[in-house]
Amino acid sequence: MQQIGKNQLSILIIIFLIGSTPLFELGIKAKQDAWIAMTVAAAAGLLLTVMYIRIQKRAPEAGLAELYMMHFGKWIGGAVGLIHACWFAYESMRNVRDVGELTMMGLLTLTPKWIVMLLILSVSAYTVSKGLEVFVRIVQLLFPVAALSYLFVILLLLISRLPDISRLQPVLENGIAPVMKAAFPDLLSFPFGQMITMLVFWKYVHEKKIIGRVSYWSQAGVSLFLILMNMLIMSVLGPELSSLSALPLLEVVQLIRLANILERLDVIVTLLLFIGLYVKMTALYMASVFTFSAVTGIPYRHCVMPIALVIYASSFLEANNTYHIWIGLDVTLKIVPLLQVALPLLMLAVGIRKKYKDAKIAV
Amino acid sequence: METKGAIMNKQSAEALTPFSPSLHANVQAIRNRFGGSCDLVIRLFSSDAAPERELAIIYVDGIVDSETINESIMEPLMSLKLPQYRYQKGGKLLDALRSCVVSIGSVQEINTMDEALLYMTDGLCIILADGCAAALTADVNGGSQRAVSIAQTQTVIRGPQYGFVENIRTNISLIRRIIRSPDLHVQMHKIGKQTHSNVAVLYLHGIVNEGILKEVYRRLAAIDIDGVLESGYIEEFIQDETFTLFPTLLNTERPDSVAAALLEGRIAVLVDGTPIALMAPTTFFSFFQSPEDYYQRYDIASFVRIIRYVAYIVSMLLPALYIAVTTYHQEMLPTTLLISLAAQREGIPFPGLVEALLMEMTFEVLREAGLRMPRAIGPAISIVGALVLGQSAVQAGIVSAGMVIVVSFTAISNFVMPEFNMAATSRIIRFGFMLMAGMLGFFGIFVSVLFMLIHLTSLRSFGVPYMSPLAPGPTRQGLFRDVFIRLPWWAIVLRPLDMNLRNPKRRPNGKKPPAQRHTDKP
Repeated sequence: MQQIGKNQLSILIIIFLIGSTPLFELGIKAKQDAWIAMTVAAAAGLLLTVMYIRIQKRAPEAGLAELYMMHFGKWIGGAVGLIHACWFAYESMRNVRDVGELTMMGLLTLTPKWIVMLLILSVSAYTVSKGLEVFVRIVQLLFPVAALSYLFVILLLLISRLPDISRLQPVLENGIAPVMKAAFPDLLSFPFGQMITMLVFWKYVHEKKIIGRVSYWSQAGVSLFLILMNMLIMSVLGPELSSLSALPLLEVVQLIRLANILERLDVIVTLLLFIGLYVKMTALYMASVFTFSAVTGIPYRHCVMPIALVIYASSFLEANNTYHIWIGLDVTLKIVPLLQVALPLLMLAVGIRKKYKDAKIAV
Repeated sequence: METKGAIMNKQSAEALTPFSPSLHANVQAIRNRFGGSCDLVIRLFSSDAAPERELAIIYVDGIVDSETINESIMEPLMSLKLPQYRYQKGGKLLDALRSCVVSIGSVQEINTMDEALLYMTDGLCIILADGCAAALTADVNGGSQRAVSIAQTQTVIRGPQYGFVENIRTNISLIRRIIRSPDLHVQMHKIGKQTHSNVAVLYLHGIVNEGILKEVYRRLAAIDIDGVLESGYIEEFIQDETFTLFPTLLNTERPDSVAAALLEGRIAVLVDGTPIALMAPTTFFSFFQSPEDYYQRYDIASFVRIIRYVAYIVSMLLPALYIAVTTYHQEMLPTTLLISLAAQREGIPFPGLVEALLMEMTFEVLREAGLRMPRAIGPAISIVGALVLGQSAVQAGIVSAGMVIVVSFTAISNFVMPEFNMAATSRIIRFGFMLMAGMLGFFGIFVSVLFMLIHLTSLRSFGVPYMSPLAPGPTRQGLFRDVFIRLPWWAIVLRPLDMNLRNPKRRPNGKKPPAQRHTDKP
C-alpha cells in the first residue's frame, strides 16, 4: 500500500489549507475585524479536527468511506459516502473554475476558459492517476517555492511600507455579534472545515500514532499564517476596498513598486495562487476518487477519468464569476456544515454507543 | 576466468558438441565452423613432450599476443623433454602439459567444441592433442588497442586526467588501482548472441544494497539481443522507465567517477568495447555533481554547483519565459526595457514563438553539424554560424537581437552540465515549454513545469525515488550535505543515496580532526 510520512502529511495539510484562501478576503462581513473572525473560526476548526482525529483513531486503517459504512451500516453508510464523494468532486470543481476565472482576470484575458481548465484538470488527473505517493512528493517540491514566495511578497509589502495598522481599528466596533456571524458557519466551513478531507488520507500515514499531533500543529501553524495574510490585506486595502475588490491579494501586490524593477508582481502571485489551487483541487479530486472507489468497489484507476469528466463538465455550470463566487462563498457554505460538522458528530455519537475497540473493527 | 564457466553453465541446456578423440577431426570441425576464415591460425606440430602424438595450437590472429604464444606455449611445448609423460594417455597428457609445460597464468581444460569456439573468439588460444577428447585454453589475450589517455568528455582541472579505454580488462584494472580492496567484486557476464560482449558488474561488497544488486543481475540476465556495441544498449534494457526524457542511469568515462560511485554504494556496469561505464541507482541530483566538486575546495564547489542548477533551469525555461513575457505579459518588464524590445521587434515579421523556434532549430542544427563534420571544415562552420546566421539574421530583420541573446545564453547554459545526457534532456523539453509559452503564456509554462515535476517524482531508478532526498524527504538526517551544496569532506558522514545500504556511513562522525598548531619560535 502507498504510504506517506509525517513530514509529508504536515506539508500536505499546510498547502491544502492555504489553497485558494489568500485569494479572497474572508470574513469581510466583519469589516476590519475579519481577522478576529478568522481567529475564532480557526479555533473552532481545530476543535473540528480534534473530532475527526477521534473518529479516525477508532479505526486507523479505515478511510472516510469505510468509517461511514462502519458507523451507519453498509447501505446508509455507502450512500453517505457517495454523497461525500460527490461533494469532494464539487469542491474540486470549484478550484478548477477558480483557476479558469483567475487566468481570465490576471493572465490571459483572451484565451478561452475551457482550455485553461482542461489543462489544469489534466495535470490534476495525471497526478491522481500516479497515486497519493507521487502527489505528496509534488506537494513537497512545491512547498519551498510557495513558502519562499509568500515570504518574499510579505517582505516586499513591509519594505514598501504599505500596511497601515490603523486600518484595522477600531477593534470590535460593533461588538462581538458581527464577528461571530462572519465566522459561523462561513469561515468554519471554508477553509478550516475542509480538514475533513484528511479523513481520506490519514489511513495512509506511516506512523498512525502521530497523526493527531502532526495535524494539530500543522493546522495551528497554517491558521496563524492565514490570519496574518488576512490582517495584511486588510491593513493595506482597508475594509471598503477589500470588500469591493474581486481579488484583494492581487490588488495589494499591484501596489508594490520598488527600484523600478519589481513593479508588476501580480503575475508571480497569480502563479503562487495556482500552486495552492492545484494542490487543493488535486487533493479533493483524489479524495473523491478514493471515497468513490471504496464505496463502489470499482478499482481506483478506473475511477480517475470518469470523475475528471464529471468535474470538467460541471465546471461550466455556473454562468459567470460573480455567480460562481456567490455560490461558493454563500450558498455552499450554508450547506456544507451538514457534511463537515453534523455527520461527523453523528458518527461520534453512534461510535460512543457502539463502543468500538481500536483497530479491531472489521470493515 | 571463473565467469566463463558460469556462461557455459547457462548454455549447457542446449546440446553441446563434445570433442572427438581425433585431432584432425577436431581441427577440421573448427576450420569448417569458421568457414575457412583467413585470420584463423592452426599450427600443427609434434613435441618432444609427447613425440608420438601430434599437437595443435589454434587461435584467431590479431586478438592474441603472438609473442606470448611463441614464448610461453610454443617454445616450452617444442623444446621440453618430459619422458615420464611419454606414454600417458588421454586427459593425462593435457594435465601434464597444463601443470608442467605451458607457462601461462590462466590455463583451463575444456571438453566441448562450443566452448573452444567461444574462447577463441574471445582471444584465447586452444591447445589440442591427438587422442584427447579435450583441449586446453590459454589466456593470451592481446592485440592492438588504444592506450589509456586523457578523458575527452568530462574534463576537470584538478583531479586525475585519464579516462577509460575500449578494453574492459584495462578498465577494470584502472578501477582496481583506485580501490585496492578485495571487497571490490567484479562479476562478468556475456551478453549478445553474436558479439558475446563482456559486461562486468562492479560493486563494493559490504556496502552495496544486495536487493538492488540482485535486481541488476536479474535485468542483465533478461537481455536477449544479437549484439552489444556500447553501454547504451545495456542502458536501454535495464533502465526502469523507457518513456521518459530523463536518464535514470549515470554514465561516465572517468575511472575516478566510477570509484566514487562504488564508494557511495552504487553499482557500476562496464561494457567491453566502449569507454563509457554505467552507474546505478541514480537520482536526479547526481547529474549535477561533477567529480571536480569533490577535489576542489568545498565552498567553491558549492558555488559552482548552485550555478549549475541555475544554468539548467535557464537552459530549460529561458526561451519560454522570453516568449511568454514578450507575447503576453509585457507589463512585467520595466518600461525602458519594454520600449527597446518593442523597437527591436518592430520590423520582425514573425510572432515571438516562431522567431524563437527558428533560432533554436538553427542552433541545434549548427551544434549537430559541429559534432559530425570532419575536423578540417570546423572554421568554415563557425564563420557561417556566428556571422551569417547570428549577425546577418538580425540585420536582415528576421530575428530580433534580444532573441539572439536569449538563444545564445540558453545554449551556453546547457554546456554547464557535467552530464551530457541530462543536458540533452533540457534541449528537448525546452521546445515543449516554448510551445506552451507561445500558446498560453505563464499559465502554459506553469502547467508544463507541473507536468514535468509530476513525471520526475514518479520516476525510480532501481527502486530509488528519482527526486530523493527532496521528494520524498530524506529518511535520515544529514543527507542534504551533498545535494545542493557540498559540505567539507569531514562533515559528509553518510553515503548520499537514500537507499538501504549495508553500510550507510562513510566515516564515524562529522567532526573535523583537530589540527596541531606548530610554531617555529623557540
